Amino acid sequence: MLTIENLRASVEGKDILNGIGLEVRAGEVHAVMGPNGSGKSTLANVLAGRDEYEVTGGTVRFKEQDLLDLDPEVRAREGLFLAFQYPVEIPGVSNVHMLKAALNTMRKHRGEKELDAVSFLRLVKEKAALVGMKQEFLYRSVNQGFSGGEKKRNEILQMSLFEPSLSVLDETDSGLDIDALKTVAEGVNSLRSPDRAMLVVTHYQRLLEYIVPDYVHVLAHGRIIRSGGKELAHELEDRGYGWIEQHARTA
Amino acid sequence: MNSKIADTAGSNSMHAQPDTHPDPQVRPYLDIHEQGREALPGERVEWHANWRHGCLQRFADQGFPTLRDEEWRYTSLRPILSRRFAPAEDSGLAPDSSAFRIEGIAHTLVFVDGIMQRPAAPLDMNAEIRVDSISEVLENDPDRIRPYLGKSAEERPHGFSLMNNALYRDGALVEIGQGVRSDAILELLFVSRTDAALILPRILIVARSNSAARIVERHVSESGTSSLTSGVGELYLEPGAHLDYHLVESQSESAFQVSGNWAYLSRDSRLDFHTTTVGGALVRNDLVIDMQEPGAQCSLMGAYCLSGRQHVDNFTTVIHSAPHCSSNEHYKGVLDRRSRAVFHGRIRVAPDAQQTDAQQANSTLLLSPDAEIDTKPQLEIYANDVKCSHGATIGNLDEQAMFYLKSRGIGGDSARMMLIRAFVDEVLETVGPDSVQQHVKALMDSKLSTLPTSAKSG
Repeated sequence: MLTIENLRASVEGKDILNGIGLEVRAGEVHAVMGPNGSGKSTLANVLAGRDEYEVTGGTVRFKEQDLLDLDPEVRAREGLFLAFQYPVEIPGVSNVHMLKAALNTMRKHRGEKELDAVSFLRLVKEKAALVGMKQEFLYRSVNQGFSGGEKKRNEILQMSLFEPSLSVLDETDSGLDIDALKTVAEGVNSLRSPDRAMLVVTHYQRLLEYIVPDYVHVLAHGRIIRSGGKELAHELEDRGYGWIEQHARTA
Repeated sequence: MNSKIADTAGSNSMHAQPDTHPDPQVRPYLDIHEQGREALPGERVEWHANWRHGCLQRFADQGFPTLRDEEWRYTSLRPILSRRFAPAEDSGLAPDSSAFRIEGIAHTLVFVDGIMQRPAAPLDMNAEIRVDSISEVLENDPDRIRPYLGKSAEERPHGFSLMNNALYRDGALVEIGQGVRSDAILELLFVSRTDAALILPRILIVARSNSAARIVERHVSESGTSSLTSGVGELYLEPGAHLDYHLVESQSESAFQVSGNWAYLSRDSRLDFHTTTVGGALVRNDLVIDMQEPGAQCSLMGAYCLSGRQHVDNFTTVIHSAPHCSSNEHYKGVLDRRSRAVFHGRIRVAPDAQQTDAQQANSTLLLSPDAEIDTKPQLEIYANDVKCSHGATIGNLDEQAMFYLKSRGIGGDSARMMLIRAFVDEVLETVGPDSVQQHVKALMDSKLSTLPTSAKSG
């Protein structure tokens, strides 16, 4: 589904990604872990197409297409979803209006019928209940005045509404208490299926207790320095990032 | 002050004789008066004729404003003064006003090139709201308007309002009866039909005590006419009256408009004044609200969206003359291409106007590096127990929000439209009647859809 080869990217002239290679197949959940500044978030944002990040080399193929060649909105319509680490507040645009516009754009792109107001509302209320979001948040401005947890729930609400083939979760666990974390994880898990994949970017192993990955990759200095199964996350938790960096250097 | 004399003959003599008047920009309008004097309404009513003549004299002396006038320093009148405008002949043809109809507004009085079209049947308003032609009232019952007409000229009128006083030919007198509370919307629709027409709307509104009414003053063009509209409105709110007033400017983008509205609020009255501007090459809106007695309230809400080389100058003055009055003002503008907006917010709090609450804000969204806003709050506070705030913000479209929406599959154009609409909606949603709110939102949408994609981000 997603093939990343030797991906390099920089921000304001500073190299952040220094040759990432990663293969994600349908049905798989991959975790990308790493210390602050290792390039985790950059990887997530480059995949979504944020233009502050300049791709300086490498290729990314998504569903047989050159992902880097697509505009961010086309990537989204093709089924790539980024759950933001810091969801953006948009005063004056109601959440429900944005969700409906987004979902219908995607449905149209997939050749499906657009939902009318009534069917959309039924669907969005059902999904909101699933992620434990109060209905009043649907009618507020997008993310405005939402707590950290409410913002993350809103991200997962969108994910379950859009049903993307590839979800990239950028530090979705940051700022969440344990209850919110569980609800969010349940939302994510309910989307796991043989034809979908996920890339879970996180600093801590905690989230991976609830979203159990098939593979774990450790990122440092813009490179994947180690890959393994879910037990790698536990090892990291026990021994810290220092261990793995040292290990990588001596290897 | 006679700063506008163009020739260097050195003659500073003040006189209204048109053919010898030294200012070539003023002379044609004095000619219009000279030639059309007999046709002007109210010439046989002594007080009115005297008042008109006085205004004509002042106009001749004072001429049009220049950039050297502090209150006009950001608005060059060259585009208006370099053209010639004259009253259009009454074509006698009622316009096809259905093209301009707003759903939900049943009572529309149409003016073509400034002249009231006699409705086939009397306006089917609540009988307690009287709408008359000012020229007819001057003919038949001039004392009815004597206490009201022309009060605005007592202040420091500029050349355009003096010109209206001196030359206006028709207008509407709207009288809302005591205690009448009407939900129906009365619309005064000004259609510009003739190119280079000089249109001089005159509006006089008297809201009797404890009345409530909603009025729309709307300016449109039949085609791309380049007319000059120079209007004067005078609004009187008696104790406890509530007036909801909507000035909607959607004329062609080659039209010129100088609009002046003066409102006088008595005890416990309330005026909600909304200005929406999408049309016009050069528009200046003067709005003066004088809260003369305790307990009066007003709101001034403005929304404008400009592109090309459009220029819109909103010059507002809120006068707190009495204690316990409140004013709330918010103007929001979206500027694209090389458009330019001016916002001037003057608030004057008189020495004994204690317990005043005055709020003011001007926010601007600049979509292009070539667009410009000049915003100037001007607070003159002579009382000491006053709550007063003002603020101005200027910004571009939020790039983070743009990316967020795009990452949800929403295309760049739709995302931009969504963000701009959200910005102006804050003001548009204060428009009370649904039909009017829908209309101004539709105007805004159709204007936004014409904005070039050069403003596209990302």
